[in-house]
Amino acid sequence: MKRRRLIALLLTAVTATSLVTGCGKGKDKSSEDGVKEFTAFFAVPNPEINDDNEIQQMIAEKTGAKVKETWLTGQTAEEAVGTLIAGGEYPDFIEGAGGQKQLYDAGALVALDDYLDDYPNIKEFFTEQEWDSLRQDDGHIYWIPQFSNIYGEERTCEHNDEAFWIQTRVLKWAGYPEVKTLDQYFDLIARYNEENPTMEDGTANIPYTIMCEDWRYFCLENAPMFLDGYPNDGCCLVDPETHKVSDYNTTPTAIAYFKKLNEEYKNGLVDRESFTQTYDEYIAKLSSGRVLGMVDQWWDFAFTAGDAIKSAGLDKQGCSYVPLPITIDEGITNQWHNSGGVVNASSGLAISVSCEDVEGALKFVDDLLEQDIHDLRFWGVEGVDYQVDDEGVFGRTDEMRTQCADTAYKASHLCTYSYFPQWLGTSRDGINAMKPAEQEGEFYDALKDDVKECFDAYGAKSYVDMLGKNDSPGSWYPMWSYSNTYTTDTDAGMAWTKIGEVKHEYLPKVVMADNFDSAWKDYMKKYEECKPEDFLEDLQKEADRRIKEAEKYK
Amino acid sequence: MSAITKKKKKQVENEPKVPITWKEIKKQKVLLFWSAVIVLYGIIFYYLPLGGWLMAFQNYKPAKGLLHSEFVGLEKFRRLFSDDTFVRVIRNTLAMGVINLVVTFVMAIIFAILLNEIRLKNTKKVIQTVSYLPHFLSWIIVTGILHDALSGTGIINELLRNLHIIDHSIDFFAHPSYFWPIVAFANVWKETGWNAIIYLSAITAIDPSLYEAAAIDGAGRFGKIRYVTLPGIKSTIIILLLMNVGNVLNAGFEIQYLLGNGLVKSVSETIDIYVLKWGISQGDYAIGTAAGIFKSVVSILLIVIANQAAKRSGEERLY
Repeated sequence: MKRRRLIALLLTAVTATSLVTGCGKGKDKSSEDGVKEFTAFFAVPNPEINDDNEIQQMIAEKTGAKVKETWLTGQTAEEAVGTLIAGGEYPDFIEGAGGQKQLYDAGALVALDDYLDDYPNIKEFFTEQEWDSLRQDDGHIYWIPQFSNIYGEERTCEHNDEAFWIQTRVLKWAGYPEVKTLDQYFDLIARYNEENPTMEDGTANIPYTIMCEDWRYFCLENAPMFLDGYPNDGCCLVDPETHKVSDYNTTPTAIAYFKKLNEEYKNGLVDRESFTQTYDEYIAKLSSGRVLGMVDQWWDFAFTAGDAIKSAGLDKQGCSYVPLPITIDEGITNQWHNSGGVVNASSGLAISVSCEDVEGALKFVDDLLEQDIHDLRFWGVEGVDYQVDDEGVFGRTDEMRTQCADTAYKASHLCTYSYFPQWLGTSRDGINAMKPAEQEGEFYDALKDDVKECFDAYGAKSYVDMLGKNDSPGSWYPMWSYSNTYTTDTDAGMAWTKIGEVKHEYLPKVVMADNFDSAWKDYMKKYEECKPEDFLEDLQKEADRRIKEAEKYK
Repeated sequence: MSAITKKKKKQVENEPKVPITWKEIKKQKVLLFWSAVIVLYGIIFYYLPLGGWLMAFQNYKPAKGLLHSEFVGLEKFRRLFSDDTFVRVIRNTLAMGVINLVVTFVMAIIFAILLNEIRLKNTKKVIQTVSYLPHFLSWIIVTGILHDALSGTGIINELLRNLHIIDHSIDFFAHPSYFWPIVAFANVWKETGWNAIIYLSAITAIDPSLYEAAAIDGAGRFGKIRYVTLPGIKSTIIILLLMNVGNVLNAGFEIQYLLGNGLVKSVSETIDIYVLKWGISQGDYAIGTAAGIFKSVVSILLIVIANQAAKRSGEERLY
């Protein structure tokens, strides 16, 4: 009896204490060997690396710090960020992607401008003008955009952006023809599929599929912008001469493009599951090599489906993707690819108010930009992941390449700290590229044979050559870095959100419609109700502001 | 929350009158300690968070906090009800809630009665175990299975095609009219076995002599079900119905969130999704809270009405 009572009391005590401690904070920052440990959350999906990752450990030994990174899973960026704000506790490092502005509004971020001068590598990362463009409305800098920053000479081989992609087998079958317009593109796919309806093993091809899930519906919605020869402003068109902002959703090209999709849907060329598939299902489809063509951003499929096609050996059947310079009519200069680094001022790496060691955190970011650590992040360990020839040029053997594309190896060995600031362009040694994919020799050697053959046929050396290079558009560019910061507090933001809602629902309807014209009319009616003019006016103001701002530095 | 307070009330009414003396308190100290813990738990986790309801009457900004945000009265509620989307979302929630309630409820009772009629003990046990296993799967897995089974190359379409019922695969998730039935089906598949357990136990509590008497009076199997089993579990049915009515607005979040897409948005979004989208994603916590308050108030009203109705007709009731 007594024993029972004792147990009962004990249980009560345990419950009571757990109630109390449940609300407390339990934070222990540094681990046993004196290495500082930081936490980070990035509101983008990415695979997590192992806790005992080898290169992470090596970087920790050199810099005295390591970061436990967590990524977005099964939510949108805004949901994840909104939940963090509601909870009021943050990891040390944070990148909110689409929710960055909300973090700033909630007062969750530490102003960095007073610290910057102490960290030469961070300071060097941007020019004064670029740093100024990062100032928020209170005049402070809160985040550091990590990407698209070029050191020394630009070295681009990959087209890390959007395009109409096509499998090399289709081009090869047709004898590598010039494909320049939307009609030619679908015509080629139709003809190929008629004669070769299946893959080698008898699986039916999927001629054209469209990714539409959530924010990835850009694969459906923004092609009209590129088809008219405009660069990726993302939310509008900006006339390069008059700087007048206009809407790409309602142009004749938009109508022509969706009408074409509607026709090809009825012809059975457009995958019937396009509008209901999840991203995972989409990647699985691409990985199987069945999909002949689609619109997508390189980073959205190449490191998943692209690598899967390679490791399954499907490149031997010609299932690798290459981009095509598609416009709506011939004679329009396409701007699928633009050179020059673009600062995405709308989001970046920030340090949260929950971080207790801001200096330590910035020191770590600074260290990550040191050349030897940068090499470790992106090239790996010398002799293991890459080799150096007599002239100091980095390269990889075939085994190294296969190994570095292997998911298990990536998790256990490689650690790029991929959402921390990083350089593109030429290394400080003046010879190599900052990243392997930009090293011309290494890039070309790493290509699969079907892609090489295709490039040779078009006289191209890289993906970029397939499309042609363009200069950076202008000082307003890119407008998406502004529209990404919209919240529903403003009329423009409200209109932008509502337009998104309407497009998500009606664009698939338009493509699937029996009667395109009436479906388009319904869509336009709903579209006008969202007051797009509010949002276009606001964009015009921002474009003008940016152009004016840039003139100050000339 | 409401169930707890109600239970306590009942206890107070039924307790025999014992004078509260120190001796009595000492005797019951463990009990008292435990109740204190539970009351504390209730206060901390159910009542204190209600302070957050203040948000709904403010133009809430996280940077300013609850204390310094500007009060706007019922402005947020006004905006909520002038929003077509919110009205549509209420419709969806109610529709799916009612469909789910009716279908899962009826199926569970039928299933329990059928299961009870099985004579072979082992078969019965196996069926019962298999049928309630899906309850332990999370929705993400269930929706994954559904998505695969109903996809263009999934088992359902394959079957229909091979039986020559259809020529082309049906795109189940592209038609708004299929969405509610799919959700109802998923709920039935997942919860029928689990919900049946409580009815099964109610059935076992029926006095066997009643069945014998019914048999002597000439009742067959159906007669027994109609005149003995069903009346025997009537009180259980009513109590569970009452409790579930309050849950109608909890028509679900995961399944609609995971199965929905742009094409079926107009029928798939529930109040919870609305709260997530506008309250959390768009950072308008006030409007999210307002929608949540609306949901709670309607749920309480539903319970009160249903309980009152049960009282009128002289049936079992919650309080």
